[in-house]
Amino acid sequence: MKINVQMPKAIKLGIKIKNENHMIICGLSFLTVIIFITLLGPFIVPNDPLSANMSERLASPSVTYPLGTDHMGRCIFSRLVIGAQATLGITGLVVASVVMIGIPIGLVTGYIGGRIDSVIMRLVDGLLALPEFILAITIAGFLGPSLINLMISIVFVKWIGYTRVVRGIVILERNKDYVSAAKVSGSSNWKIIRRHLLPQIISPVLVLAALDIGKVILIISSLSYLGLGAQPPAPEWGAMLNDGRPYFQTVPELMIYPGLAIFFVVLSFNLIGEGLRDKLDVKRH
Amino acid sequence: MLFIIRKRLFQLFIVLLVLSIFTFTLMKLAPGDPVLTILNADEMLVTEEDQAKLRSDLGFDQPLYVQYGKWMLNLAQLDLGKSYMTGKPVWDELMERLQITIELTTFALFIMISIAIPLGVLAAINAGRWPDQVSRILALIGASIPNFWLGLILIYLFTFKLQILPSSGIGSYSHIILPAFTLGFTFAVVYARLLRAGLLQSMSEDFILAGRARGLKEWRILWIHAFRAAILPVITVFGLSIGSFLGGAVVVEILFSWPGLGSLAVEAIFNRDYPVIQGYVLLTGIFVVIVNLLVDLSYYVIDPRINRKEEAL
Amino acid sequence: MEATIEKQIKNAGDLVHTAEESLLEIEDLTITIDSVKKDLVKQIDLSIKAGEMLGLVGESGSGKSLTATALLGLLPSSLQITGGTIRLGNHQITSLSEKEMRQVRGKEIAYVSQNYQSFFTPFIKIGKQFVEVIQSHSPTKKSEAKKIVRYWLNKVNLPADRVFNSYPFQLSGGQLQRAAIACAILLRPRLIIADEPTTALDVLTGEKILDLLRGLQKELNCAILLITHDLKHVMNRSDEIAIMYGGQILERGRTCDVYQNPAHPYTRLLFQSRLQLSKEVTKELRTIYGEPGLIAEKGCPFARRCPYVFEACNEIPQIKTVSDAHWVACHAAN
Repeated sequence: MKINVQMPKAIKLGIKIKNENHMIICGLSFLTVIIFITLLGPFIVPNDPLSANMSERLASPSVTYPLGTDHMGRCIFSRLVIGAQATLGITGLVVASVVMIGIPIGLVTGYIGGRIDSVIMRLVDGLLALPEFILAITIAGFLGPSLINLMISIVFVKWIGYTRVVRGIVILERNKDYVSAAKVSGSSNWKIIRRHLLPQIISPVLVLAALDIGKVILIISSLSYLGLGAQPPAPEWGAMLNDGRPYFQTVPELMIYPGLAIFFVVLSFNLIGEGLRDKLDVKRH
Repeated sequence: MLFIIRKRLFQLFIVLLVLSIFTFTLMKLAPGDPVLTILNADEMLVTEEDQAKLRSDLGFDQPLYVQYGKWMLNLAQLDLGKSYMTGKPVWDELMERLQITIELTTFALFIMISIAIPLGVLAAINAGRWPDQVSRILALIGASIPNFWLGLILIYLFTFKLQILPSSGIGSYSHIILPAFTLGFTFAVVYARLLRAGLLQSMSEDFILAGRARGLKEWRILWIHAFRAAILPVITVFGLSIGSFLGGAVVVEILFSWPGLGSLAVEAIFNRDYPVIQGYVLLTGIFVVIVNLLVDLSYYVIDPRINRKEEAL
Repeated sequence: MEATIEKQIKNAGDLVHTAEESLLEIEDLTITIDSVKKDLVKQIDLSIKAGEMLGLVGESGSGKSLTATALLGLLPSSLQITGGTIRLGNHQITSLSEKEMRQVRGKEIAYVSQNYQSFFTPFIKIGKQFVEVIQSHSPTKKSEAKKIVRYWLNKVNLPADRVFNSYPFQLSGGQLQRAAIACAILLRPRLIIADEPTTALDVLTGEKILDLLRGLQKELNCAILLITHDLKHVMNRSDEIAIMYGGQILERGRTCDVYQNPAHPYTRLLFQSRLQLSKEVTKELRTIYGEPGLIAEKGCPFARRCPYVFEACNEIPQIKTVSDAHWVACHAAN
């Protein structure tokens, strides 16, 4: 006998997000618009994002400059659109590399088990104590601030999470009867991994990746804001915020637009990630 | 209990080992010659002899493993070397800044708890109704908003428009409110969701029904019987995300010109002050492991069953 | 049609409680799932006198635990009492406010559940939870409360000091169920609801627990509603039994009457499907046809599994009096 705590999922506040499907749809439509703008970027920007025009600095929005200009007289709108390429491109690359590194290591250590597994996992446990942000700062600090170093440092930390998740699932599945049955019937290890284990890890990894994309974007923009990521004059959103900082008392638009851009991109990935997690019923790791 | 302490101490050892090798390697890989940096070669005339002398003083002419060994020996005595910039011992400098950072993080933690707990509880007891939806939307915002941007908006509102709170510096309580809120808020709303989920889970346990059947007051059911079980996952996630919390602290310190560890680290990065960066990284590593040890130990206080489960292992 | 049936139910009820006023009286209780408007418990009537035990027997899903939850006023918000009244002594439970109801729970009505593992909150020491119950109902000094707790722990044959300072997980199943009973009788309630108190225990421990309950009842002169799926638990203990199926009471009467002369086909099948030691070892064990969840939507709820089913079973059966204080709801009975 249990008390059923009712959990109706209807939301009636502004955006109507009824359930996980609505979250995913909402996130996907945001994302589609963003990607569309990003891809079309070079064709729709009214101005060169890099060309400074000191006579037009801190201009208000006009036909030529839809969102006005920054402290160097550069078109904010063009910089935002082109900056999306940098942010989304880097993030995509980082998450892709992380998945490519994390999954195989997790599969292999989980499947083989034994000493290799325990040694790797001890190391991984140790690394897990390192905050990725701090590590990224360190690498950026020693090797010099640049986008490449930033990417390396995020990948260096992020793969661990994927390895742990994948390994956990593999260990759970490895001892189930169907895997034993496949072994007995003469499947090779490679085939077992590919045919039986790989499909099991797809949805958790998908959810993890969707939620991570948001986090990676936030890390990149934070580091760029600190001046440790994208270097001027590159139009990266975090860096744009940093540029606008001295002027934001008088021209708050300089920081509002890039911030909103980051917010909406991260929000759409979070909507997709959380929607997928509820839909695929993946537990938090 | 001993088992968990041993496990965490071992982790501390691994962390320190990995971090020390890591930072040491990076230092050697780093572009630029620290000798020239110390001698401020950009602005002064530096002779070859000066360079050679400093190089052997610092032991840079010896093989790498010897350098590493010496460095580790010094480390064991809390000697992290001297800052290239100020010439002061790194350890002293870190400790001085640590205090200021702890002030900020403690206050942020306090704000975090005082938002997360009421919000989570309200969302749980009103599951499906408007307080729940508000907390859900806040959590989505909190997870999606860059905290430095939130800080900028707060500065714009409270410093420039309303002119009631200072945007930078330290000294009084009014100085700490904005940075602590900026740091605490994004975590608070996410933890409120976790707490809500935990409460809904524990409120549906049989022992809650049994407690109600014994005629216990509803507030006792919630805060004494359900809350303890619900808080465990929140503490676990807090342990896991202490790293992002410290990372957030760096950004907030820079944003609000808060002269703590994070500011020190960022200054050191731009000045290529490697010993300070090393010291910062090691200290943070230790800090993270210690927090996780405390998290582990808190399980024993909250749920006495854990001791028994462990004995069974 | 409806009205006549209701009247008959009333009459039958009047026959059951003789002159003596009963402590608990449930009349026409109906519990409905709000969202789909489906009745899970349909117009049931039950009553227990002080000092007596009523065995409520039924398969899982028959609505017996739901009835118990309704008595405690703890139905989940998706379910609602849509008809009937519950009276305990001079409290009309169905019309009490939540605050008043809380004071009734634990003090007047006590509850012992099937799930002894999570009867107590797992991370709070048992003694503390006992003291909490006492203090929730009347302001009592801690030392005073402790004394009361010790007394009752001894009463249920538990080592009082050790149990007082133990966490729930440190006790065995039998000990926990004893502690749960001690906790239930702490404030000398007038009614104890025991919802399958022995299901999760082994047979011998279970028997001991039931004997303990019966013994304490004599001392407290309280009423017990013993909910079970197992006839043998109630056969030689309870004063009355009620057989429940599909949210309705099919047969009800003094235990010995029902035993000697089961009138409803379902009751008979229940008796026949019991394992028992008898001389006719070769006698085949009867099973009841169909799944427990198979409940006829209209008419007699047992119609779809009943071996004697005939056309009339599509109509709600009339209440028939078998003998004094024994009645049945079946078309086939006579």
